[in-house]
Parts: sequence; structure tokens; C-alpha cells
Amino acid sequence: MAQTTKDLLVDPLVDNNPITLQVLGICSALAVTSSLQVALVMALAVTSVTALSSFFISLLRNAIPSSIRIIVQMVIIASLVILVDQVLKAYAFGISKTLSVFVGLIITNCIVMGRAEAFAMKNPPVASFIDGVGNGLGYGLILLLVGTIRELFGAGSLFGVTILQTVNDGGWYVPNGLLLLPPSAFFVIGLLIWAFRSWKPAQVEKREYKIQTAEAH
Amino acid sequence: MSDLSQDPKGFIARFRALPTDSIPKTVFVAVTLCLFCSMIVSIAAVSLRPVQNANKLLDKQKNILQVAGLYEDGMNIAQAFSAFEPRVVELATGTYTDQFDAATFDDIAAASDPALSVPLTDDPAGIGRQSKYATVYLLNDASGALDKVILPIYGYGLWSTLYGFIALEENGNDVYGLQFYEHAETPGLGGEVDNPRWKSQWKGKMLRDPSGDLKITVAKGGAPTGQEAYHVDALAGATLTSRGVDNLVRFWMGAQGFEPYITNLQNGAL
Amino acid sequence: MGARAFFDRIEPLFEKGGKYERYYPVYEAVESFAFTPKTVTKAAPHARSFVDMKRIMTYVVLATIPCILVGLWNTGLQANMAIDAGLEPSGWRAAIAGIFGYNPSNPLANFVHGLMYFLPIYIVTLAVGGFWEVLFATIRRHEVNEGFLVTSMLYTLIMPASAPLWQVALGISFGVVIGKEVFGGTGKNFLNPALVGRAFLYFAYPAQMSGDSVWTPVDGFSGATALAVSASEGYQALVGHGITWWDAFFGSIQGCIGETSTFAALLGMAFLLATRIANWRLIVGCLGGMIAFSLLLNLIGSDSNPMFAMPWYWHLVLGGYAFGLTFMVTEPVSASHTNLGRYIYGALIGFMVVMIRVINPAFPEGMMLAILFGNIFAPLIDHFVVRANIARRAKRHV
Repeated sequence: MAQTTKDLLVDPLVDNNPITLQVLGICSALAVTSSLQVALVMALAVTSVTALSSFFISLLRNAIPSSIRIIVQMVIIASLVILVDQVLKAYAFGISKTLSVFVGLIITNCIVMGRAEAFAMKNPPVASFIDGVGNGLGYGLILLLVGTIRELFGAGSLFGVTILQTVNDGGWYVPNGLLLLPPSAFFVIGLLIWAFRSWKPAQVEKREYKIQTAEAH
Repeated sequence: MSDLSQDPKGFIARFRALPTDSIPKTVFVAVTLCLFCSMIVSIAAVSLRPVQNANKLLDKQKNILQVAGLYEDGMNIAQAFSAFEPRVVELATGTYTDQFDAATFDDIAAASDPALSVPLTDDPAGIGRQSKYATVYLLNDASGALDKVILPIYGYGLWSTLYGFIALEENGNDVYGLQFYEHAETPGLGGEVDNPRWKSQWKGKMLRDPSGDLKITVAKGGAPTGQEAYHVDALAGATLTSRGVDNLVRFWMGAQGFEPYITNLQNGAL
Repeated sequence: MGARAFFDRIEPLFEKGGKYERYYPVYEAVESFAFTPKTVTKAAPHARSFVDMKRIMTYVVLATIPCILVGLWNTGLQANMAIDAGLEPSGWRAAIAGIFGYNPSNPLANFVHGLMYFLPIYIVTLAVGGFWEVLFATIRRHEVNEGFLVTSMLYTLIMPASAPLWQVALGISFGVVIGKEVFGGTGKNFLNPALVGRAFLYFAYPAQMSGDSVWTPVDGFSGATALAVSASEGYQALVGHGITWWDAFFGSIQGCIGETSTFAALLGMAFLLATRIANWRLIVGCLGGMIAFSLLLNLIGSDSNPMFAMPWYWHLVLGGYAFGLTFMVTEPVSASHTNLGRYIYGALIGFMVVMIRVINPAFPEGMMLAILFGNIFAPLIDHFVVRANIARRAKRHV
């Protein structure tokens, strides 16, 4: 592959972001972005799982029979996810309680499988590892952006530190309760995609159809 | 088979020469990978188990410390918690029982154990089955006299079961504090049960009036005249969560809950 | 014809190649507001009708007049009754409304006091919503159209009078941008923008907006809305709170500015039906769904939930049912477009509104959510109706 290490790392941040361009991994992005701290831990968990699974799968890529390759990838990813889950439970109990089932659900995160299948199966281990890190960071970047907006305007704080004193605590800010509910992440991600594509028009998809106008006859 | 095993070198070499997609190799990869991964996973699970259990315990102890107003950030939780004496109470008689080890008895698990629980017909807290036993935590002051007692309470709110503790003063009637450690109510509305300002209302409220009627209530609007000591304002915009809290507090403080125990405590019968 | 000459004189400036070409939509909006648009279709088919979009939108705004009038009077009435009961009027409104006094039995005083609440909300809605409309029209080079006048009026009427103006601004921004412009503007929105804005506020600021406690705009007032009372004590308890069926029908109860009066909404409905702007099938469907499902629930009954016993004629007059039925269910863009689909669409909304009011414990009012729910299903309903039609005709052909 002609891609340099820097390309592998930076490309998925904006130009080829797994969430805003490929629209993958949305489910967990909705669920874990109501506070920044949780979003950060989730981003780290997904980054480490993507990077390590890409690494190991790439290491084994010549030995994996194609008939069972998806299952092999799943087994590796699932083991890594369980490891991450166990480690969180042991060393970050409070956060693992908030993340609850979503750590386990990293297994179903399309980004992890997507990178394993699309990149790691065809590239050497180190490049795959870096690609995994890059994509994990791209996912994390969006998670943190969404988390910042949701926590700041939904609860008036960042990383649990009060920024805007809320009315319930005697301040002036009326928190926006919608932002604490998962659907709000849809709106925020949608607006982010809109912003990204206005900034980089190359990301705009081709129309699948064209409405015929009366003048066209 | 036999001639293959006589020549292991040839067997491995032949196996290696097989294409990756051949059936023996596919089976080999699948089995090896599964064995390897399951080993890694079980090693991790087993070696981290003690730390995880300690975390769960610490979390519970932290909540008990919080409701008793003793928690500070960064404190040694286990040490501070040693001031508490856990005891298992038989709810129907209101007496202590030594049938179980109080340090490990799990009320919530007992509630779904047919041998240790009873189905409820009158069930305002919405919990279905109730354990016959509950763990209470006694806090003694420096002279060894009872200072506070922490009782576990739980019940259904709007979307979820709220699990928490209520702390009572030594007279068994004045509330010191109330705290939920697990719930899934709407953030910003019912979720405000965690708001320190709301929780601080509980301090100093009384469960019963002098004649012994259970008066404590969570309701909307201000308290009726003369009832201020028994009235906690409902959460703004969370009618049903508030009603749930009202129901569960009244249930656990009532005859089906800790009333016999509290009466014994007040009479010095324990 | 001074104005016409003025428009003709400045028009070249805004046309292609003109100095202000970018701002053509702004020019067009002002011009077509003042005069009948002179655009003509350029290609076949030429369907001609005297009812153009401008006229439809104007008629809908006309139809809201009874609701506006009753709403103004009632908002003032509720505020004056609260003041009469001992609360202090405060703020700038006191200076103006004070001239007419706070006597709740004086309709003029009520009306003026109500206007003090209606106008700021309406002006903010027009200014903020209008800003987004013009911005998108300018960037996207389409025309600003009269649909926004309807959206802004309906939005104002479903606001609680006590809503802070910044919330009003936030809501209409969300409604116009997310509810309409992201889908391509008027005619391409599958949701009702006024309701999208209202729903945004409902979920964002539920403590103030969910209809749990009431919206009489006097500081210190608190109580429960008619629906919240029915949910906790049963509809029979309403009389105890001073609300009779006729109060609810004529609209002298607590609620959002323009939605309390079923009577005013029915007047508007009659006008829309007479001018054929509202499709009667939608209304029949929605009434049918509501009546059938509430009768069913009456029959089932429930010991713990008093809402089960609420009869359909109470469902009709409480909350936003009548207002939503008249102005939101019949909104042509977001409703179903096939005749059979219209019955189904209406019935779905009627069913959902009772469902949410009675069975969902969290939300006392369900009309808004029911209509948005219907909006989402409208294209699907149409799809299956068209499919079924094709299948039937194909069978006949063979």
C-alpha cells in the first residue's frame, strides 16, 4: 500500500471518518455520548479493540481460511471486547456501570468488523494496527464532539465539572433535556455530517435519482 | 492413520503443505483459535474477579456512607465503613437473625428466592416479591450508643426500579437522608432524585406523627399547614417518579416493611 | 399603481445578472405578498385553478382567527383570575394591562391582557422563523413562501402563554430548520414544522412544557392541567376543579394560547371544509379512531388508571385534540395523499392520541406526538394504498 503512516492515521479523522462519511457505529454513538467522560472511555475502548483486532487479524491473515474468515474475525474481536470489559469492571467500576451493555456491544460495532475485513485482511500487521488506531480516533473524535455538545447544553457541565450553573442548582442555565435523551445524538450527528460535507463537498454522495422537472421536457 | 502417526515429521509437513482453505486446516484454525481465545478470556475473568467483587462491595459501601453523610472524596471507604455494623433483620418480627452472614447476605437476590421471600398482594412499591429478610446497617457513635440506622429500600418509579437507602436517626423516626444508587428514570426529570438539593429536603423530616400514624409523603405543591415536618416536595415535572418514591418509602416504612423493626428499636427490645 | 411601478423599476436589480441577484428570493417574497404572482407554468400539463398556494395559506390563517380571538380572551381571563385570587401582576405587562384593570369579567381587560402575552411570542416567532426562511431561501435560491405564515401562526397558538421568549425562538428555529429546510423546504417536509418545533421544546424543557403543571402566566401560579387532573383523579374530578364540559368546549380553561377552545377550532374547521382546503376524510378518520378506541377503553376499564373511563366527548374538548384535528391533521403536505390513506391516517392519529393520553403514564397530552407519529407513517400508508390499487386493477385486467 502506498499510504504512509500519517495518511493511515489522519485520513479517518475527517476525510474518511467512519461515522460522518461511512455512517457506521451510530448505535453506540447515540447511547454513550450523554456525558464526555463516558464518551472518552468508550472512544478509548473502541480504539484499542479496533487497533488490536486489526493487528491480530492481519497477523493471521494468511492462515485464515476464507470460508470461516468472518467467524474468525468475530472470535478475535469478541475476545478482545470481553478483555476490555473485564478490565473496565476491575479498574473503572463507575464508568463500566454507566457504559453497561455498550462495552459488550462493541462486538457489533461495524467499524471494528469493517476495518478487519476491508483493511487488515489485505495489509501487514503494523499498518493494520495504525489503521485501527486512526479509525478508532475518527470514531472517538465524533463521540467527543457530540459528547461535548450534549453534556454542555444538556447538563451544563463538561467532564462533570459545572460550566453553566443550572437552575436546579440555583444558577441561571435551563438545561436542554432533549440533549440528555439518545435521539438528540441523531440530530447532532446529522448536523455534524451536514457541516463536514459543506466544508468538504467531495464527501457529498451522488444522488441516486433525479426528480424530473417540467422544463426538462 | 497409523502410518501417519509413525512419521510425525511427515504428518506435519504434509499438513503444512495443505492449502489454507482445505477442511483439515479450516478445522485446525477454528479449534486452535477458539481454545486460545477462551483461555485468554477465562484467565482475564478469573484473575480480575477479586478486584471486580471488591469494586461492587466498595460501591455499595460508598452509597451507605453517602446516605449517612460520612462520605468524602478520596477517603478510605473500607476503613470508614468499618464503623457500620451490618445486621440481617427478619421483617415480620422485626428482630435480628443470625441465620445469615450479614456481610454477604444479598437482599435483592433473596427477593427472587422462593425459600426466602413471599409474593406480595398489596404491593404499592411494585416489587412483586419481597424478601423476608433485609440487611440493615447500624452506626454507633463514639460512646457505643446507636447513632443512625441505614435501611435498604427499593420500588418502581416511572421506567425503572429505584434502589436506595434511607438513613434514620437513633430515635427511628427522624430521617437523616435518602439516596438512590441505581435507577433509570428520565434524565433531568425523574433523574433529579439524584439532585443534592432535592435530597437535602429529606433531612430532618419525620416518618410518623406523635400518635404513630405514618405521615411521611412526597407530594406536589407546598405542604398543608402543620404537615411541613412530614412533607417532601415532589420533583418538578416528574409526577410518576415522585409518586413511585412516595409509594416505596411509605411501603418500606410501613407494616409490611420495617415498622416492626423500628418499633422494636424504639422500645429498646433489641 | 405606485407600488407596482416601484416593483417593476427595482426588479431588474434582482434578476439574473442584476446587482442584487443573490437576494432575488427576498424581493420575490415581498412582491408576491403584495401582488398575485405572475409566474406561469412553462410546460405541460397545465392544471389551472384559482386556488394557488398563496390562497390556501391565506385561508388557513383566516381559519385560525376564531382560535386567536378566543385564545387572547382566555389567556387574559386565566391570568386575571389568578390575579383576582390574590397574585400580584408584575413586569412591563402590568403597566399596560393595568390601564384596563384585572377584572376577569371584563372581556376587554382579558383581551388586552391576553394580547400582551400573544404578541411577544408571535413577533419572536415571525422574526426568528422568518430569518431562517430568508436565509435558506437566499442560499438555496428558492422562493420564500407563504407557508411560513401558517407555520408561525400555528406555532404561536400551541405555545403556552408563559413560555420564555428564548425558548420560543429556539423552538421555531428547530421547527423550520430540522422540520422543513433540511428536507428541501415547503412541500417536501414530511413533518409539520410547527409541531416539530413544539415537540423539540416538549422534550428539551419538559418541566415547563409537558402539560404537567399549567401555563397561567402569572408568577407563583401552580396547578395541574385538565388532562393531568383527569390522569390522576379521573375526569369526574374536573368539576371539582371548576371545569365543566362546556368550559372545556368554549375554552375557558388552562392550556396553550390557542388550543383550549374546541368551539373556535370547530368554526375554523367549518371554514376549511367549506373552502375544500381541509379534506373531510382526514377528519372523519381521526374522529372515528379516537371515538372507537376510547369506547373500547371505556369497555375494558381499569381499577388503577382513571383515564380508561374518560368518555370520547371529554377527549374531544380537552388538550389540543380539536385544534390539532382542525389545523394539523388536515395539513395537506404531511398527511396521506390517497383517499383511502386519509381515512387510515386519520384513524391512526385518533387511536394514538387516546393511547398516549390513557396508557402512557409519562405524557398527559398526546395530540402532538400522535400527529407527528401519523406524519411519519403517511408515506407508508400511501405506498400500500397505491400498491393495493395496482394489484386490484391488475387482477381486473386479466
